[in-house]
Amino acid sequence: MSVMHEFTKGLWQDLPPFRLVLGLCPTLAVTNSANNGLGMGAAVIFVLVLSNMLISMVRGIIPKKVRIACFIVIAASLVVAVELLMQAYAYPLYQQLGIFVPLIVVNCIILARAEAFAAKNGVAASVADGLGIGLGYTLSLTFLGSLREILGNGTWFGAPVMWEGFEPFRIMVQAPGAFICLGLILAGMNVINVWQARRKGLREPDPVGCGGCGCCSLDKKD
Amino acid sequence: MTAASSSVLLAMSAPPYWHCGRSIRRQSLYTLAALLPAICFAVWNWGLPAVRVMALSIAVCVVVEALCQKLMGRELAVDDLTAVCSGLLLAFLLPADSPWWIVALGAVISITLGKMAFGGLGANPVNTVLVGWAVLFVSFPLHMDANAASLGTQFVDPLVRLKFFGAEQAAHIPLTDLLLGRQINGLGAGQIGALFVGGSLLCMRGILRWHSALGFFLGVAGIAAVFHASDPTLHASPLYHLCTGSVMLGGFFLITDPANAPSRPLPMFLYGLIGGGLVMAIRKYGVYTDGTPFAILLVNMLTPLLDMIRPKPFGVR
Repeated sequence: MSVMHEFTKGLWQDLPPFRLVLGLCPTLAVTNSANNGLGMGAAVIFVLVLSNMLISMVRGIIPKKVRIACFIVIAASLVVAVELLMQAYAYPLYQQLGIFVPLIVVNCIILARAEAFAAKNGVAASVADGLGIGLGYTLSLTFLGSLREILGNGTWFGAPVMWEGFEPFRIMVQAPGAFICLGLILAGMNVINVWQARRKGLREPDPVGCGGCGCCSLDKKD
Repeated sequence: MTAASSSVLLAMSAPPYWHCGRSIRRQSLYTLAALLPAICFAVWNWGLPAVRVMALSIAVCVVVEALCQKLMGRELAVDDLTAVCSGLLLAFLLPADSPWWIVALGAVISITLGKMAFGGLGANPVNTVLVGWAVLFVSFPLHMDANAASLGTQFVDPLVRLKFFGAEQAAHIPLTDLLLGRQINGLGAGQIGALFVGGSLLCMRGILRWHSALGFFLGVAGIAAVFHASDPTLHASPLYHLCTGSVMLGGFFLITDPANAPSRPLPMFLYGLIGGGLVMAIRKYGVYTDGTPFAILLVNMLTPLLDMIRPKPFGVR
C-alpha cells in the first residue's frame, strides 16, 4: 500500500516539472523532440532510482553535516555511468542531449528526492519513489517534446503525422516555444486542479506563490 | 419590498463623482482616426490586397476576443474597440500579400496568447500585437519577408538595400518615396508620412503620452547620427533610419501602449530611448534588417524596472 502510494504520487500529485516545478533546465532545453525528451527522462530514471536506493542504504552511515556532499558524490558517479553507457549504446542521443547529461548531477530533482525522501525512508519506499518521480518526469518531458515536435516540425518520433502541406511552427522547436508550451501546460494543470476541487466540493487551491500579489483572485466571489 | 423603497432610486457610490469623459472606447476611436490616413495610403499603394489583410485581421481579432471573454465568463467588452486597434496594427506589420492563414493565425495568437492569457486588457506584460507578429516572424520567415512576398511591385525595400548594398546605394532612394510609402515594408508600417501626421495629432490631443515616442525617435536618430557622422559613405543618415522599417509605427503606436509602458515622464523617456538604441543595435549588428518590433518587445520587459524610478513619499529619508 505505502510503496504503491510512493510510486503513484510522482505520476500526478507530485509531477516534477509541472507540479513541483523542479528540473526545469533540461525540461526547457532538450525537449525539442519527443525522442530527446524520452532519452533525457530515461537517463534521469536510471540515476534517480539508483541514487535513491544507494542513499537510502547508506543513510545511517552518512554524518549529517556532510550529507549533501555525499549525495552529490553518489549522483555524480551514477551520472558518469549513464554518460558512458549513452556514449557506448546511444551515441546520436548523447550528441543531442550534450551538456545536459552531465548536468543531471546538479538537477534539483535528484537532490530534492535524496534530501527529502531517501535520507528518511527505507530502501523499498525510496526505490518506488524514485521510479514514480522518474517516470512522471519522463512522461512530462515526452509530452512536452511531442507537443513541440508535432507543432514545430510536423513529426512525432521522427515520423510525419501532420497533413500534406502543413507549415510547421518553427518557433515551437526553438527556445521561445519551450517557454510558451510550459506556461500553457502549467496553466492547464491549474485549470484541471481547480475544476477537480470544485467537482469534489473541496476548497479551491489558493493561488499563492505570486509574491503576495494575488490580483488574479480579486474578482472571485468568496 | 415596499413600494417606497422600489420607487425611490438612490445611487450609493464612493467619490470621485466627477468624470472627465475619457474612456477606453474614446481612446480607441481616436487611435483609429489617427490611423486613418495610413489606411488610405496603404490602400493607395498596395490596392485591394491591403484591404483584405486589414479586414481579415480585424475580424478575427474581434471574434477571438469575444469568444475568449465568453469562455472566461466575463462581460463582453469588444465594444471598447481595443481588439479593432490590435487587429489593424497587426495588419500594418504584415506584407500586403500575406496568405489568409498567416493573418488569421497572427490575429488568434495576438489576442489569446498576447492578451487574454494574461487576463485581458491592460494585464499583458508585452505588446499584444507584437506577440502575434513575433510568433509569425520566427515561425514563417519566408511568408513574413515583405521582400519575398511582394514580387509584383516596382518598390524597393530600403532596409535590405541598406544592409546588403551599402549606404551609397540606399542614398539613391528619394525621400518623398519613403514618406509616401512607396517602399516594401509591412503594408501600413511603410506609410511614414501618414503615420507621422496621425501620431503627432494624437500626441497633441494628449491621447498618446509623447515622452516615450520622443525618446524612441531620439534614440534611433541619435545613434544613427553618430554612425553617420563617423563615415557618411558607410552609414545611412538618421532621417533614412526614421523613415524605414516600422520605426514610425512602433514609435507612435506600439511602444506607447499604456498597458506596457512606464507611467511617469522620465521613465517613459528612458524607456523610449533604450528602445531606439536597441533598434539601431539590431539594425547594425543583428541578422534582421528591421529590429523595431523585437526592440519594442525587449524594452517592454524593462517597464517594471523603470517604474521604480519614482519620487519618494513625503517625509521618507
